[in-house]
Amino acid sequence: MTDGDRLTRPLTREPGQKSGDEGGPSAPDIRKPEGGNELMRRMKKIDPDQAKKYRQRSGQ
Amino acid sequence: MRKILAGIETEYGLLVEGRGAEEQVDDAMALVRDYPGECLVGWDYRYESPRADLRGFRLASLAFDPEDAKFDAGRSYGKAEDIRSDRVLPNGARFYNDHGHPEYATPECRSIFELANHDCAGQIAIQRALKVFSEREGIEVRAYKNNTDFHGASYGTHEGYLVPRSVGFDRLYNSVMPMMVVRQVLVGAGKVGSETSRSADFQLSQRADHISEKANAETLYRRPIFNTRDEPHSDGQDWIRLHVICGDANMIPAATARKVGLIKLALALCEMGQAPIWQFQDPVRAFQDISRDQSYQFRVELERSSWTTAPEILESYFSAGERFLELDEEMKWVISSSRELLEDLHGNFARFKRQVDWAAKRAMLADFIESEGTSWADPQLKSFDLEYHNVDPDESLHAALVQMGEVEAGPNSTELLACLEGVNEPTRAYARGLAIRKFRKDLIGVCWRTLTFRVDGAPVEVDLKPNGEYPPQLSQANDVGTFISMLRGVQ
Repeated sequence: MTDGDRLTRPLTREPGQKSGDEGGPSAPDIRKPEGGNELMRRMKKIDPDQAKKYRQRSGQ
Repeated sequence: MRKILAGIETEYGLLVEGRGAEEQVDDAMALVRDYPGECLVGWDYRYESPRADLRGFRLASLAFDPEDAKFDAGRSYGKAEDIRSDRVLPNGARFYNDHGHPEYATPECRSIFELANHDCAGQIAIQRALKVFSEREGIEVRAYKNNTDFHGASYGTHEGYLVPRSVGFDRLYNSVMPMMVVRQVLVGAGKVGSETSRSADFQLSQRADHISEKANAETLYRRPIFNTRDEPHSDGQDWIRLHVICGDANMIPAATARKVGLIKLALALCEMGQAPIWQFQDPVRAFQDISRDQSYQFRVELERSSWTTAPEILESYFSAGERFLELDEEMKWVISSSRELLEDLHGNFARFKRQVDWAAKRAMLADFIESEGTSWADPQLKSFDLEYHNVDPDESLHAALVQMGEVEAGPNSTELLACLEGVNEPTRAYARGLAIRKFRKDLIGVCWRTLTFRVDGAPVEVDLKPNGEYPPQLSQANDVGTFISMLRGVQ
Protein backbone atom coordinates (compact mmCIF):
# COMPACT_ATOMS: atom_id res chain seq x y z
CA MET A 1 0.00 0.00 0.00
CA THR A 2 1.12 3.53 -0.64
CA ASP A 3 0.94 6.26 1.95
CA GLY A 4 -0.90 8.69 -0.30
CA ASP A 5 -3.93 10.83 0.45
CA ARG A 6 -7.33 9.32 0.90
CA LEU A 7 -10.04 10.24 -1.61
CA THR A 8 -13.58 10.15 -0.30
CA ARG A 9 -15.21 11.35 -3.49
CA PRO A 10 -14.76 10.52 -7.16
CA LEU A 11 -12.33 12.55 -9.17
CA THR A 12 -14.63 14.48 -11.47
CA ARG A 13 -16.76 15.93 -8.73
CA GLU A 14 -15.24 17.94 -5.87
CA PRO A 15 -11.92 16.13 -5.70
CA GLY A 16 -11.24 17.50 -2.17
CA GLN A 17 -8.62 15.11 -0.87
CA LYS A 18 -8.34 14.55 2.84
CA SER A 19 -5.08 13.93 4.53
CA GLY A 20 -4.36 10.27 5.19
CA ASP A 21 -6.61 8.68 7.78
CA GLU A 22 -5.17 5.38 8.84
CA GLY A 23 -7.73 4.80 11.59
CA GLY A 24 -10.41 2.91 9.72
CA PRO A 25 -13.48 1.29 11.19
CA SER A 26 -13.40 -0.86 14.28
CA ALA A 27 -13.48 -4.64 14.17
CA PRO A 28 -16.89 -6.15 13.41
CA ASP A 29 -19.14 -7.48 16.13
CA ILE A 30 -19.49 -11.14 15.11
CA ARG A 31 -22.31 -12.77 17.04
CA LYS A 32 -22.68 -16.52 17.06
CA PRO A 33 -25.81 -18.13 15.68
CA GLU A 34 -28.31 -19.27 18.28
CA GLY A 35 -29.81 -22.77 18.33
CA GLY A 36 -27.32 -24.34 15.96
CA ASN A 37 -28.68 -27.88 16.25
CA GLU A 38 -29.82 -28.29 12.66
CA LEU A 39 -26.64 -26.72 11.34
CA MET A 40 -24.42 -28.87 13.56
CA ARG A 41 -26.40 -31.98 12.65
CA ARG A 42 -25.75 -31.34 8.96
CA MET A 43 -22.12 -30.38 9.51
CA LYS A 44 -21.47 -33.64 11.33
CA LYS A 45 -22.85 -35.61 8.38
CA ILE A 46 -20.49 -33.96 5.90
CA ASP A 47 -17.48 -35.96 4.76
CA PRO A 48 -14.51 -33.89 6.02
CA ASP A 49 -12.70 -34.76 2.76
CA GLN A 50 -15.60 -33.71 0.54
CA ALA A 51 -13.80 -30.62 -0.78
CA LYS A 52 -10.57 -32.56 -1.24
CA LYS A 53 -12.37 -34.97 -3.59
CA TYR A 54 -14.22 -32.21 -5.40
CA ARG A 55 -12.51 -31.60 -8.74
CA GLN A 56 -14.28 -29.74 -11.51
CA ARG A 57 -13.79 -28.91 -15.13
CA SER A 58 -12.84 -25.28 -15.61
CA GLY A 59 -15.92 -23.44 -16.83
CA GLN A 60 -16.53 -19.91 -17.93
CA MET B 1 -35.13 5.50 -15.06
CA ARG B 2 -35.12 2.85 -17.78
CA LYS B 3 -35.96 -0.66 -16.54
CA ILE B 4 -32.89 -2.55 -17.70
CA LEU B 5 -33.47 -6.05 -19.01
CA ALA B 6 -31.13 -8.53 -17.31
CA GLY B 7 -30.52 -12.23 -16.88
CA ILE B 8 -28.26 -14.56 -14.88
CA GLU B 9 -26.54 -17.71 -16.16
CA THR B 10 -25.22 -20.08 -13.51
CA GLU B 11 -22.90 -23.01 -14.16
CA TYR B 12 -23.39 -25.56 -11.40
CA GLY B 13 -20.69 -27.76 -9.92
CA LEU B 14 -21.28 -31.48 -10.14
CA LEU B 15 -20.15 -34.28 -7.83
CA VAL B 16 -21.05 -37.74 -9.11
CA GLU B 17 -20.28 -40.79 -6.98
CA GLY B 18 -17.35 -42.78 -8.33
CA ARG B 19 -16.65 -40.37 -11.17
CA GLY B 20 -14.41 -37.37 -11.68
CA ALA B 21 -13.62 -34.40 -13.87
CA GLU B 22 -12.63 -36.79 -16.70
CA GLU B 23 -16.28 -37.85 -17.04
CA GLN B 24 -17.88 -34.54 -16.13
CA VAL B 25 -18.89 -33.54 -19.66
CA ASP B 26 -20.65 -36.88 -20.13
CA ASP B 27 -22.37 -36.55 -16.76
CA ALA B 28 -23.50 -32.97 -17.33
CA MET B 29 -24.91 -33.93 -20.75
CA ALA B 30 -26.80 -36.85 -19.23
CA LEU B 31 -28.12 -34.78 -16.34
CA VAL B 32 -29.46 -32.03 -18.61
CA ARG B 33 -31.08 -34.59 -20.89
CA ASP B 34 -32.81 -36.09 -17.86
CA TYR B 35 -34.68 -32.84 -17.16
CA PRO B 36 -38.21 -34.20 -16.64
CA GLY B 37 -40.30 -31.07 -17.24
CA GLU B 38 -41.89 -29.64 -20.36
CA CYS B 39 -39.25 -28.22 -22.71
CA LEU B 40 -38.14 -27.79 -26.29
CA VAL B 41 -34.93 -29.57 -27.28
CA GLY B 42 -32.43 -27.49 -29.24
CA TRP B 43 -31.03 -23.98 -29.61
CA ASP B 44 -30.33 -21.68 -32.52
CA TYR B 45 -26.62 -20.77 -32.36
CA ARG B 46 -26.53 -18.49 -35.41
CA TYR B 47 -26.30 -15.27 -33.41
CA GLU B 48 -23.60 -16.37 -30.98
CA SER B 49 -20.33 -14.44 -31.30
CA PRO B 50 -18.05 -15.22 -28.34
CA ARG B 51 -14.93 -13.98 -30.16
CA ALA B 52 -16.32 -10.53 -31.01
CA ASP B 53 -14.95 -7.75 -28.81
CA LEU B 54 -16.80 -4.58 -27.80
CA ARG B 55 -13.68 -2.61 -28.72
CA GLY B 56 -14.30 -3.34 -32.38
CA PHE B 57 -12.26 -6.40 -33.25
CA ARG B 58 -12.62 -10.17 -33.29
CA LEU B 59 -10.28 -12.62 -31.59
CA ALA B 60 -8.75 -15.35 -33.75
CA SER B 61 -9.41 -17.84 -30.96
CA LEU B 62 -10.33 -17.95 -27.29
CA ALA B 63 -7.82 -18.96 -24.63
CA PHE B 64 -8.29 -22.20 -22.73
CA ASP B 65 -6.90 -23.57 -19.50
CA PRO B 66 -4.06 -25.96 -20.44
CA GLU B 67 -4.56 -27.95 -17.23
CA ASP B 68 -8.25 -28.39 -17.96
CA ALA B 69 -7.58 -29.36 -21.58
CA LYS B 70 -5.81 -32.49 -20.34
CA PHE B 71 -9.18 -33.95 -19.38
CA ASP B 72 -10.19 -33.92 -23.04
CA ALA B 73 -7.04 -35.60 -24.38
CA GLY B 74 -8.05 -38.38 -26.75
CA ARG B 75 -11.75 -37.74 -26.19
CA SER B 76 -14.45 -36.94 -28.74
CA TYR B 77 -17.87 -35.96 -27.44
CA GLY B 78 -19.68 -35.57 -30.75
CA LYS B 79 -21.37 -32.61 -32.37
CA ALA B 80 -21.52 -29.29 -30.49
CA GLU B 81 -25.31 -29.32 -30.27
CA ASP B 82 -25.26 -32.84 -28.86
CA ILE B 83 -22.72 -31.85 -26.24
CA ARG B 84 -24.69 -28.81 -25.19
CA SER B 85 -27.98 -30.77 -25.08
CA ASP B 86 -30.00 -27.54 -24.94
CA ARG B 87 -33.44 -27.42 -23.37
CA VAL B 88 -35.68 -24.35 -23.55
CA LEU B 89 -38.20 -24.21 -20.72
CA PRO B 90 -41.76 -22.83 -20.70
CA ASN B 91 -40.56 -19.75 -18.82
CA GLY B 92 -38.14 -18.89 -21.63
CA ALA B 93 -35.06 -20.10 -19.69
CA ARG B 94 -32.23 -22.08 -21.28
CA PHE B 95 -30.88 -25.20 -19.57
CA TYR B 96 -27.80 -26.85 -21.08
CA ASN B 97 -24.34 -28.32 -20.59
CA ASP B 98 -21.58 -25.72 -20.62
CA HIS B 99 -18.07 -27.17 -20.41
CA GLY B 100 -19.18 -29.97 -18.11
CA HIS B 101 -21.46 -27.84 -15.96
CA PRO B 102 -25.25 -27.94 -16.06
CA GLU B 103 -26.11 -24.31 -16.71
CA TYR B 104 -29.39 -22.58 -15.98
CA ALA B 105 -29.81 -19.27 -17.82
CA THR B 106 -32.80 -17.44 -16.41
CA PRO B 107 -35.46 -15.81 -18.52
CA GLU B 108 -34.72 -12.13 -19.02
CA CYS B 109 -36.31 -9.96 -16.33
CA ARG B 110 -36.75 -6.24 -15.69
CA SER B 111 -37.37 -6.52 -11.96
CA ILE B 112 -34.36 -7.43 -9.83
CA PHE B 113 -36.62 -9.34 -7.44
CA GLU B 114 -38.22 -11.32 -10.25
CA LEU B 115 -34.74 -12.13 -11.50
CA ALA B 116 -33.62 -13.26 -8.04
CA ASN B 117 -36.61 -15.62 -7.89
CA HIS B 118 -35.82 -17.05 -11.31
CA ASP B 119 -32.20 -17.51 -10.29
CA CYS B 120 -33.48 -19.56 -7.31
CA ALA B 121 -35.82 -21.51 -9.57
CA GLY B 122 -32.75 -22.67 -11.45
CA GLN B 123 -31.82 -24.65 -8.34
CA ILE B 124 -35.17 -26.47 -8.60
CA ALA B 125 -34.55 -27.23 -12.28
CA ILE B 126 -31.14 -28.69 -11.42
CA GLN B 127 -32.59 -30.73 -8.56
CA ARG B 128 -35.33 -32.19 -10.75
CA ALA B 129 -32.85 -33.28 -13.42
CA LEU B 130 -30.40 -34.51 -10.80
CA LYS B 131 -33.02 -36.73 -9.14
CA VAL B 132 -33.87 -38.48 -12.41
CA PHE B 133 -30.19 -38.85 -13.32
CA SER B 134 -29.28 -40.19 -9.89
CA GLU B 135 -32.14 -42.73 -9.83
CA ARG B 136 -31.49 -43.89 -13.39
CA GLU B 137 -27.76 -44.37 -12.79
CA GLY B 138 -28.25 -45.69 -9.25
CA ILE B 139 -25.54 -43.39 -7.89
CA GLU B 140 -25.33 -40.44 -5.55
CA VAL B 141 -25.15 -37.07 -7.29
CA ARG B 142 -24.73 -33.62 -5.78
CA ALA B 143 -24.87 -30.21 -7.43
CA TYR B 144 -23.44 -26.98 -6.06
CA LYS B 145 -24.34 -23.41 -6.86
CA ASN B 146 -20.84 -22.02 -6.36
CA ASN B 147 -17.88 -20.94 -8.47
CA THR B 148 -14.80 -22.86 -7.38
CA ASP B 149 -13.52 -26.37 -6.75
CA PHE B 150 -10.80 -25.08 -4.35
CA HIS B 151 -8.15 -26.66 -6.62
CA GLY B 152 -7.85 -23.89 -9.20
CA ALA B 153 -10.87 -24.56 -11.40
CA SER B 154 -13.62 -21.97 -11.56
CA TYR B 155 -16.98 -21.86 -13.33
CA GLY B 156 -19.13 -18.83 -13.73
CA THR B 157 -22.25 -17.06 -12.68
CA HIS B 158 -22.64 -14.47 -15.40
CA GLU B 159 -24.99 -11.55 -15.62
CA GLY B 160 -26.24 -10.01 -18.85
CA TYR B 161 -27.58 -6.43 -19.11
CA LEU B 162 -29.18 -4.79 -22.13
CA VAL B 163 -27.34 -1.52 -22.78
CA PRO B 164 -27.69 0.97 -25.66
CA ARG B 165 -24.66 0.67 -27.95
CA SER B 166 -24.61 4.46 -28.14
CA VAL B 167 -22.98 4.74 -24.68
CA GLY B 168 -19.66 3.58 -26.18
CA PHE B 169 -17.00 1.35 -24.69
CA ASP B 170 -14.89 3.88 -22.78
CA ARG B 171 -17.79 5.41 -20.90
CA LEU B 172 -19.22 2.00 -20.12
CA TYR B 173 -15.90 0.66 -18.82
CA ASN B 174 -15.15 3.73 -16.69
CA SER B 175 -18.66 3.87 -15.27
CA VAL B 176 -19.15 0.23 -14.33
CA MET B 177 -15.70 -1.21 -13.61
CA PRO B 178 -15.34 0.38 -10.14
CA MET B 179 -18.70 -1.06 -9.12
CA MET B 180 -17.64 -4.50 -10.40
CA VAL B 181 -14.62 -4.34 -8.10
CA VAL B 182 -16.28 -3.11 -4.91
CA ARG B 183 -19.74 -4.69 -4.84
CA GLN B 184 -18.28 -7.92 -3.43
CA VAL B 185 -18.35 -6.22 0.00
CA LEU B 186 -22.14 -6.60 -0.12
CA VAL B 187 -22.68 -9.52 -2.49
CA GLY B 188 -19.63 -11.81 -2.41
CA ALA B 189 -20.42 -15.46 -1.70
CA GLY B 190 -17.32 -16.05 0.46
CA LYS B 191 -14.59 -18.66 0.14
CA VAL B 192 -12.30 -20.54 2.51
CA GLY B 193 -8.62 -20.27 1.57
CA SER B 194 -6.79 -19.24 -1.56
CA GLU B 195 -6.15 -20.80 -4.97
CA THR B 196 -3.10 -18.64 -5.69
CA SER B 197 0.31 -18.26 -4.08
CA ARG B 198 -1.07 -15.44 -1.88
CA SER B 199 -2.45 -17.15 1.19
CA ALA B 200 -5.78 -16.25 2.81
CA ASP B 201 -7.92 -17.77 5.54
CA PHE B 202 -11.14 -16.51 4.08
CA GLN B 203 -12.16 -14.32 1.15
CA LEU B 204 -15.27 -12.34 0.25
CA SER B 205 -15.21 -13.40 -3.41
CA GLN B 206 -15.19 -16.85 -4.95
CA ARG B 207 -13.87 -15.43 -8.23
CA ALA B 208 -11.10 -13.06 -7.11
CA ASP B 209 -8.37 -15.72 -7.38
CA HIS B 210 -9.51 -16.48 -10.94
CA ILE B 211 -9.36 -12.92 -12.28
CA SER B 212 -6.07 -11.86 -13.83
CA GLU B 213 -6.79 -9.00 -16.24
CA LYS B 214 -8.67 -5.70 -16.31
CA ALA B 215 -10.58 -6.19 -19.56
CA ASN B 216 -10.71 -8.78 -22.31
CA ALA B 217 -13.16 -11.08 -24.10
CA GLU B 218 -11.96 -14.30 -22.44
CA THR B 219 -14.04 -16.37 -20.03
CA LEU B 220 -12.26 -19.74 -19.68
CA TYR B 221 -8.73 -18.51 -18.95
CA ARG B 222 -7.07 -15.14 -18.26
CA ARG B 223 -10.45 -14.02 -16.95
CA PRO B 224 -11.01 -10.26 -16.70
CA ILE B 225 -12.94 -8.01 -14.33
CA PHE B 226 -14.64 -6.39 -17.32
CA ASN B 227 -15.57 -8.87 -20.03
CA THR B 228 -15.58 -7.30 -23.49
CA ARG B 229 -17.42 -10.08 -25.34
CA ASP B 230 -19.73 -8.47 -27.89
CA GLU B 231 -22.66 -10.84 -28.16
CA PRO B 232 -25.73 -8.60 -28.00
CA HIS B 233 -28.48 -11.24 -28.12
CA SER B 234 -30.50 -8.58 -29.95
CA ASP B 235 -30.03 -6.13 -32.81
CA GLY B 236 -26.37 -5.19 -32.50
CA GLN B 237 -26.91 -1.87 -34.24
CA ASP B 238 -28.81 -0.61 -31.22
CA TRP B 239 -27.77 -2.75 -28.29
CA ILE B 240 -24.95 -4.46 -26.53
CA ARG B 241 -25.22 -7.01 -23.76
CA LEU B 242 -22.92 -6.14 -20.89
CA HIS B 243 -21.57 -9.57 -19.94
CA VAL B 244 -20.51 -9.49 -16.27
CA ILE B 245 -18.40 -12.51 -15.35
CA CYS B 246 -16.67 -11.41 -12.15
CA GLY B 247 -19.59 -11.99 -9.78
CA ASP B 248 -20.39 -14.91 -7.51
CA ALA B 249 -23.34 -17.30 -7.32
CA ASN B 250 -25.50 -16.20 -4.42
CA MET B 251 -27.60 -18.45 -2.22
CA ILE B 252 -29.41 -15.55 -0.51
CA PRO B 253 -31.94 -14.11 -2.99
CA ALA B 254 -31.65 -10.58 -1.53
CA ALA B 255 -27.95 -10.72 -2.39
CA THR B 256 -28.79 -11.74 -5.95
CA ALA B 257 -31.20 -8.83 -6.29
CA ARG B 258 -28.65 -6.41 -4.83
CA LYS B 259 -25.83 -7.79 -7.03
CA VAL B 260 -27.88 -7.00 -10.14
CA GLY B 261 -29.29 -3.77 -8.72
CA LEU B 262 -25.83 -2.32 -8.07
CA ILE B 263 -24.75 -2.89 -11.67
CA LYS B 264 -28.04 -1.42 -12.90
CA LEU B 265 -27.39 1.66 -10.78
CA ALA B 266 -23.97 2.07 -12.39
CA LEU B 267 -25.48 1.52 -15.86
CA ALA B 268 -28.25 4.05 -15.30
CA LEU B 269 -25.66 6.63 -14.23
CA CYS B 270 -23.53 5.67 -17.21
CA GLU B 271 -26.39 6.35 -19.60
CA MET B 272 -26.86 9.79 -17.99
CA GLY B 273 -23.13 10.48 -18.17
CA GLN B 274 -23.11 10.93 -14.39
CA ALA B 275 -21.32 7.86 -13.06
CA PRO B 276 -18.59 8.62 -10.51
CA ILE B 277 -15.08 8.32 -11.94
CA TRP B 278 -12.54 6.38 -9.91
CA GLN B 279 -9.12 5.72 -11.35
CA PHE B 280 -7.71 2.63 -9.68
CA GLN B 281 -3.99 2.11 -9.53
CA ASP B 282 -4.50 -1.58 -10.32
CA PRO B 283 -8.11 -2.83 -10.58
CA VAL B 284 -7.16 -6.53 -10.45
CA ARG B 285 -5.08 -6.00 -7.33
CA ALA B 286 -7.92 -3.96 -5.81
CA PHE B 287 -10.39 -6.77 -6.51
CA GLN B 288 -8.12 -9.29 -4.83
CA ASP B 289 -7.17 -7.02 -1.91
CA ILE B 290 -10.80 -6.30 -1.06
CA SER B 291 -11.60 -10.01 -1.26
CA ARG B 292 -8.84 -10.81 1.28
CA ASP B 293 -9.25 -7.90 3.66
CA GLN B 294 -10.44 -9.39 6.91
CA SER B 295 -10.02 -6.03 8.69
CA TYR B 296 -13.03 -4.87 6.64
CA GLN B 297 -11.42 -1.51 5.87
CA PHE B 298 -11.39 -2.32 2.13
CA ARG B 299 -8.80 0.25 1.17
CA VAL B 300 -8.42 0.84 -2.57
CA GLU B 301 -5.27 2.36 -4.06
CA LEU B 302 -5.95 5.06 -6.64
CA GLU B 303 -3.79 6.72 -9.23
CA ARG B 304 -1.53 9.59 -8.17
CA SER B 305 -0.79 7.99 -4.80
CA SER B 306 -4.32 8.55 -3.49
CA TRP B 307 -6.54 6.02 -1.85
CA THR B 308 -10.13 5.51 -0.81
CA THR B 309 -12.28 2.64 0.42
CA ALA B 310 -14.82 0.34 -1.19
CA PRO B 311 -17.68 1.70 0.98
CA GLU B 312 -16.84 5.24 -0.14
CA ILE B 313 -16.92 4.17 -3.76
CA LEU B 314 -20.29 2.50 -3.20
CA GLU B 315 -21.60 5.64 -1.49
CA SER B 316 -20.47 7.75 -4.46
CA TYR B 317 -22.78 5.71 -6.70
CA PHE B 318 -25.64 5.96 -4.18
CA SER B 319 -25.40 9.72 -3.85
CA ALA B 320 -25.04 10.18 -7.62
CA GLY B 321 -28.10 7.98 -8.11
CA GLU B 322 -30.14 10.10 -5.70
CA ARG B 323 -28.93 13.28 -7.34
CA PHE B 324 -29.25 12.43 -11.02
CA LEU B 325 -31.76 9.59 -11.45
CA GLU B 326 -35.50 9.28 -11.10
CA LEU B 327 -35.26 6.29 -8.82
CA ASP B 328 -37.93 3.60 -8.93
CA GLU B 329 -38.88 1.63 -5.81
CA GLU B 330 -36.41 -1.17 -6.57
CA MET B 331 -33.49 1.20 -6.98
CA LYS B 332 -34.48 3.03 -3.80
CA TRP B 333 -34.31 -0.36 -2.05
CA VAL B 334 -30.89 -1.08 -3.55
CA ILE B 335 -29.49 2.19 -2.24
CA SER B 336 -31.16 2.31 1.18
CA SER B 337 -30.65 -1.37 2.05
CA SER B 338 -27.03 -1.25 0.88
CA ARG B 339 -26.35 1.78 3.05
CA GLU B 340 -27.89 0.01 6.02
CA LEU B 341 -25.71 -3.02 5.38
CA LEU B 342 -22.56 -0.90 5.23
CA GLU B 343 -23.46 0.49 8.64
CA ASP B 344 -24.30 -2.98 9.97
CA LEU B 345 -20.96 -4.38 8.78
CA HIS B 346 -19.24 -2.72 11.71
CA GLY B 347 -22.16 -2.15 14.06
CA ASN B 348 -24.44 -5.15 13.78
CA PHE B 349 -22.80 -8.11 12.03
CA ALA B 350 -25.67 -10.44 13.03
CA ARG B 351 -28.01 -8.33 10.92
CA PHE B 352 -25.45 -7.86 8.14
CA LYS B 353 -25.03 -11.60 7.63
CA ARG B 354 -28.76 -12.15 7.14
CA GLN B 355 -28.45 -10.73 3.61
CA VAL B 356 -24.79 -11.32 2.74
CA ASP B 357 -23.56 -14.79 1.78
CA TRP B 358 -19.89 -14.28 2.66
CA ALA B 359 -20.82 -13.04 6.11
CA ALA B 360 -23.31 -15.84 6.79
CA LYS B 361 -20.70 -18.40 5.74
CA ARG B 362 -17.89 -16.76 7.68
CA ALA B 363 -19.92 -16.49 10.89
CA MET B 364 -20.94 -20.16 10.58
CA LEU B 365 -17.33 -21.25 10.14
CA ALA B 366 -15.97 -18.95 12.86
CA ASP B 367 -18.48 -20.45 15.27
CA PHE B 368 -17.38 -23.96 14.30
CA ILE B 369 -13.71 -23.04 14.78
CA GLU B 370 -14.43 -21.68 18.24
CA SER B 371 -16.67 -24.53 19.38
CA GLU B 372 -14.36 -27.27 18.06
CA GLY B 373 -11.10 -25.58 19.02
CA THR B 374 -9.79 -25.79 15.49
CA SER B 375 -8.41 -23.12 13.09
CA TRP B 376 -8.87 -21.68 9.60
CA ALA B 377 -6.27 -24.18 8.43
CA ASP B 378 -8.67 -27.06 9.18
CA PRO B 379 -9.29 -28.68 5.75
CA GLN B 380 -12.87 -29.65 6.57
CA LEU B 381 -13.85 -25.96 6.51
CA LYS B 382 -13.65 -26.13 2.72
CA SER B 383 -16.11 -29.03 2.79
CA PHE B 384 -18.49 -26.91 4.86
CA ASP B 385 -17.97 -24.04 2.43
CA LEU B 386 -18.89 -26.37 -0.45
CA GLU B 387 -21.95 -27.73 1.33
CA TYR B 388 -23.22 -24.21 2.00
CA HIS B 389 -23.91 -24.22 -1.77
CA ASN B 390 -25.53 -27.66 -2.07
CA VAL B 391 -28.77 -27.25 -4.06
CA ASP B 392 -30.52 -29.94 -2.00
CA PRO B 393 -32.40 -28.08 0.77
CA ASP B 394 -32.21 -31.18 2.98
CA GLU B 395 -28.41 -31.10 2.91
CA SER B 396 -27.43 -27.48 2.25
CA LEU B 397 -25.84 -25.54 5.09
CA HIS B 398 -27.33 -22.38 3.66
CA ALA B 399 -30.77 -23.98 3.93
CA ALA B 400 -30.01 -24.93 7.55
CA LEU B 401 -29.21 -21.29 8.31
CA VAL B 402 -32.50 -20.26 6.70
CA GLN B 403 -34.32 -22.88 8.78
CA MET B 404 -32.69 -21.50 11.93
CA GLY B 405 -33.69 -17.96 11.03
CA GLU B 406 -30.05 -16.86 10.70
CA VAL B 407 -30.33 -15.66 7.10
CA GLU B 408 -33.22 -14.28 5.09
CA ALA B 409 -35.50 -16.82 3.50
CA GLY B 410 -36.18 -16.80 -0.22
CA PRO B 411 -39.31 -17.66 -2.16
CA ASN B 412 -41.16 -20.83 -1.17
CA SER B 413 -41.26 -23.96 -3.31
CA THR B 414 -44.70 -23.14 -4.74
CA GLU B 415 -43.40 -19.78 -5.97
CA LEU B 416 -40.28 -21.38 -7.41
CA LEU B 417 -42.22 -24.06 -9.26
CA ALA B 418 -44.42 -21.31 -10.71
CA CYS B 419 -41.24 -19.57 -11.93
CA LEU B 420 -40.37 -22.67 -13.97
CA GLU B 421 -43.76 -22.49 -15.69
CA GLY B 422 -43.73 -18.85 -16.81
CA VAL B 423 -42.79 -15.25 -16.16
CA ASN B 424 -44.74 -12.36 -14.61
CA GLU B 425 -43.35 -9.57 -16.79
CA PRO B 426 -44.26 -8.64 -20.40
CA THR B 427 -40.75 -9.32 -21.70
CA ARG B 428 -39.58 -11.29 -24.71
CA ALA B 429 -39.09 -14.24 -22.33
CA TYR B 430 -42.88 -14.27 -21.98
CA ALA B 431 -43.20 -14.61 -25.77
CA ARG B 432 -40.51 -17.30 -25.92
CA GLY B 433 -42.21 -19.26 -23.15
CA LEU B 434 -45.60 -19.00 -24.82
CA ALA B 435 -44.10 -20.28 -28.05
CA ILE B 436 -42.67 -23.29 -26.19
CA ARG B 437 -46.02 -24.05 -24.57
CA LYS B 438 -48.38 -23.40 -27.48
CA PHE B 439 -46.48 -23.73 -30.75
CA ARG B 440 -43.62 -26.10 -29.99
CA LYS B 441 -44.42 -28.33 -32.98
CA ASP B 442 -44.08 -25.31 -35.29
CA LEU B 443 -40.76 -24.11 -33.85
CA ILE B 444 -37.56 -24.94 -35.70
CA GLY B 445 -35.24 -22.50 -33.94
CA VAL B 446 -35.12 -20.68 -30.60
CA CYS B 447 -32.54 -18.33 -29.16
CA TRP B 448 -32.50 -15.21 -26.99
CA ARG B 449 -33.03 -12.98 -29.99
CA THR B 450 -35.38 -14.80 -32.35
CA LEU B 451 -38.00 -17.48 -32.79
CA THR B 452 -38.08 -19.37 -36.08
CA PHE B 453 -41.25 -21.22 -37.06
CA ARG B 454 -42.02 -23.48 -39.98
CA VAL B 455 -45.11 -22.12 -41.71
CA ASP B 456 -46.47 -23.87 -44.81
CA GLY B 457 -43.15 -25.66 -45.14
CA ALA B 458 -41.00 -22.52 -45.09
CA PRO B 459 -39.00 -21.00 -42.21
CA VAL B 460 -40.34 -17.76 -40.78
CA GLU B 461 -38.08 -15.89 -38.37
CA VAL B 462 -39.36 -13.35 -35.86
CA ASP B 463 -37.00 -10.93 -34.15
CA LEU B 464 -37.98 -10.43 -30.49
CA LYS B 465 -37.42 -6.78 -29.63
CA PRO B 466 -35.51 -6.84 -26.34
CA ASN B 467 -37.23 -3.77 -24.92
CA GLY B 468 -40.70 -4.58 -26.32
CA GLU B 469 -43.88 -4.84 -24.25
CA TYR B 470 -45.33 -8.28 -25.00
CA PRO B 471 -49.08 -8.15 -24.27
CA PRO B 472 -51.05 -10.87 -22.46
CA GLN B 473 -53.29 -11.15 -25.56
CA LEU B 474 -50.47 -13.17 -27.12
CA SER B 475 -51.71 -16.11 -25.08
CA GLN B 476 -55.03 -15.95 -26.94
CA ALA B 477 -53.45 -16.61 -30.34
CA ASN B 478 -54.77 -19.98 -31.45
CA ASP B 479 -52.66 -20.48 -34.56
CA VAL B 480 -49.05 -19.83 -35.32
CA GLY B 481 -49.81 -17.29 -38.06
CA THR B 482 -51.75 -15.09 -35.63
CA PHE B 483 -49.01 -15.48 -33.03
CA ILE B 484 -46.34 -14.37 -35.51
CA SER B 485 -48.43 -11.36 -36.59
CA MET B 486 -48.95 -10.30 -33.00
CA LEU B 487 -45.23 -10.68 -32.22
CA ARG B 488 -44.36 -8.49 -35.19
CA GLY B 489 -46.69 -5.81 -33.87
CA VAL B 490 -44.94 -5.61 -30.50
CA GLN B 491 -43.49 -2.16 -29.74
